[in-house]
Amino acid sequence: MKLLVPVKRVVDYNVKVRVKADGTGVETANVKMSMNPFDEIGVEEAVRLKEKGVATEIVAVSCGPAACAEQIRTALAMGADRGILVEHDGVLEPLAVAKLLKALVAKESPDLVILGKQAIDDDMNATGQMLAALLGWAQGTYASKIEAADGGLLVTREVDGGLERIQLKLPAIVTTDLRLNEPRYASLPNIMKARKKPIENVKPADLGVDVTPRLTVLKVAEPPTRQAGKKVASVAELVDKLRNEAKVI
Amino acid sequence: MAANEEHRMLQDLVAKFVDRELIPLEPAVLKREANGGKLGLSDEERAPLLAKCKELGLWGLDSPEEFGGANLPVEALALVNEELGRTAVPFIFPPDSPNLHMMMQVASPFQKERYLEPYARGEALSCIAISEPGAGGDPAGMTTRAVPDGDDWVINGRKIWVSNVPQSDFIILMARTGEGKRQEGVTAFIVEKGAPGFIIEREIQMIGGRRTYELVFEDLRVPARQVLGQVGQGYAPMQLRLNVRRIEMAAKLIGMSRRAMQMMIEHVKQRVTFGQKLADRQAIQWWIAEGATKMHACRLMTHNAARTLDAGGDVRGEASMIKVYSTEMAQEILDNAMQAFGAMGMTKELPLQVMANQVRVMRIYEGPTEVHRMSLARRILKEGI
Repeated sequence: MKLLVPVKRVVDYNVKVRVKADGTGVETANVKMSMNPFDEIGVEEAVRLKEKGVATEIVAVSCGPAACAEQIRTALAMGADRGILVEHDGVLEPLAVAKLLKALVAKESPDLVILGKQAIDDDMNATGQMLAALLGWAQGTYASKIEAADGGLLVTREVDGGLERIQLKLPAIVTTDLRLNEPRYASLPNIMKARKKPIENVKPADLGVDVTPRLTVLKVAEPPTRQAGKKVASVAELVDKLRNEAKVI
Repeated sequence: MAANEEHRMLQDLVAKFVDRELIPLEPAVLKREANGGKLGLSDEERAPLLAKCKELGLWGLDSPEEFGGANLPVEALALVNEELGRTAVPFIFPPDSPNLHMMMQVASPFQKERYLEPYARGEALSCIAISEPGAGGDPAGMTTRAVPDGDDWVINGRKIWVSNVPQSDFIILMARTGEGKRQEGVTAFIVEKGAPGFIIEREIQMIGGRRTYELVFEDLRVPARQVLGQVGQGYAPMQLRLNVRRIEMAAKLIGMSRRAMQMMIEHVKQRVTFGQKLADRQAIQWWIAEGATKMHACRLMTHNAARTLDAGGDVRGEASMIKVYSTEMAQEILDNAMQAFGAMGMTKELPLQVMANQVRVMRIYEGPTEVHRMSLARRILKEGI
């Protein structure tokens, strides 16, 4: 089984995100960037499937500026076999990424694509589902367990109120949830080996995909800061404030 | 892939190791030290860490590839040490290598097999005995003497401030074998643990959780095959390693400073005194601005020296500058952080006091600040700026 694992370059989860002064987006200059944690879980799952003998090859893909090669290299150090960088400097919306991935699926013919359920930057939670729709493939989103079964996959999904188990036919799309696994450290020998693994560089135009944005961001703003609480002296005062100031009762 | 990309991933790996494996052990380690115990890990704590290091390849980072090491450049070692500096938990990736490079330069085939290989694999530990009660940084006063007797050397004398003695499988002992000024006539010997006449006289409690030992040698017989390098030229190979050590120390001090700054920043943003946050007070803001500026300068100096050394350049002058600057920077930052924490900063619950004491010790070992300033000034007065 061949796996395609997309990895997105996002602001590191430890960084406190700041909105740009002009309100056009968030500050990414001089900010530590990392692989989207859900994608890291995806890479880990792919490597585990390979270690179990279920998968034979893992191709890590990233769409974005040239610096995304760093995230591909991290995936290679974790155990992916080779990488593809779809280099583009502008905004890439989920639909554009899904179309790029569809084109790569046509080129690479993977049996399974494992994506993060969402990226921690814009929290869109869309690319995996869009890719499944574009390809007409089965999808198992929010996966907390993946098992090979009957030539397909048995996926345990985290849904409201519990867990759902579904049987997927291959080829398929899986998106990862937090509890699927705990990603490994890339060991030093594997970091060194990653140097020798190839990364292919393509452009959206090479894949025949138009990535022009369809959405216009009007304004990005920080959420309002929380107001300090107030202390009241009596229940009567509390009720009065709730009724007349907060107007909730 | 560019080397710096590899280094970034290595630094990430070590940072994760420090955050997930070492910092969680810090409260227990500090508590033991506060209750009069040693600042260190128990065997039960150390064993799984060593297993994890093996698994992750964080082993023999600066050992040559022939010993299964990663042979990393000094610049990468600086990044590793910066991360390790962020915790008061004393831990180094095996092998403990200050003696490694010295031995690699001069070890005989017999010594390679018997001492160097197990040491490089992390299976044996060693230490080095240089200072004497009357002779520290200046070897001119060294009185420990080795006299040839048949195929052996017989050594008599006394050494002090030697670290890691009880754990060591062998020590490198510097002794006078001939006359001469300063370093001339000093020979390095390998002495095995438990050799008759090798006496651990006393354990000395140092600040910063360290312990050192005073050693006595009474008619200690050492076979000639345990002479490390050439007779009368014991100092030169030892000095090869000093520049790397100083760069690694500076990186560790940057890591300690980073931790102190992070703790201070977190604290001053929420601590209110006299109706105002500490973070809004100019005195505190200046500490933060000064600390960040000095850390930046120190990091640039350290990495520049590391790159120069990796390229085969001479960094003796820079290494002295870095030794002085990094220790004084860290002392100031740690002191300010402790001050910002008020009474809490004086407790043994925070790692700051341990780090501050460690920095205090670092102003002495590997050459006291004043000796570095003196040699720097001499060099500059002679060669110009």
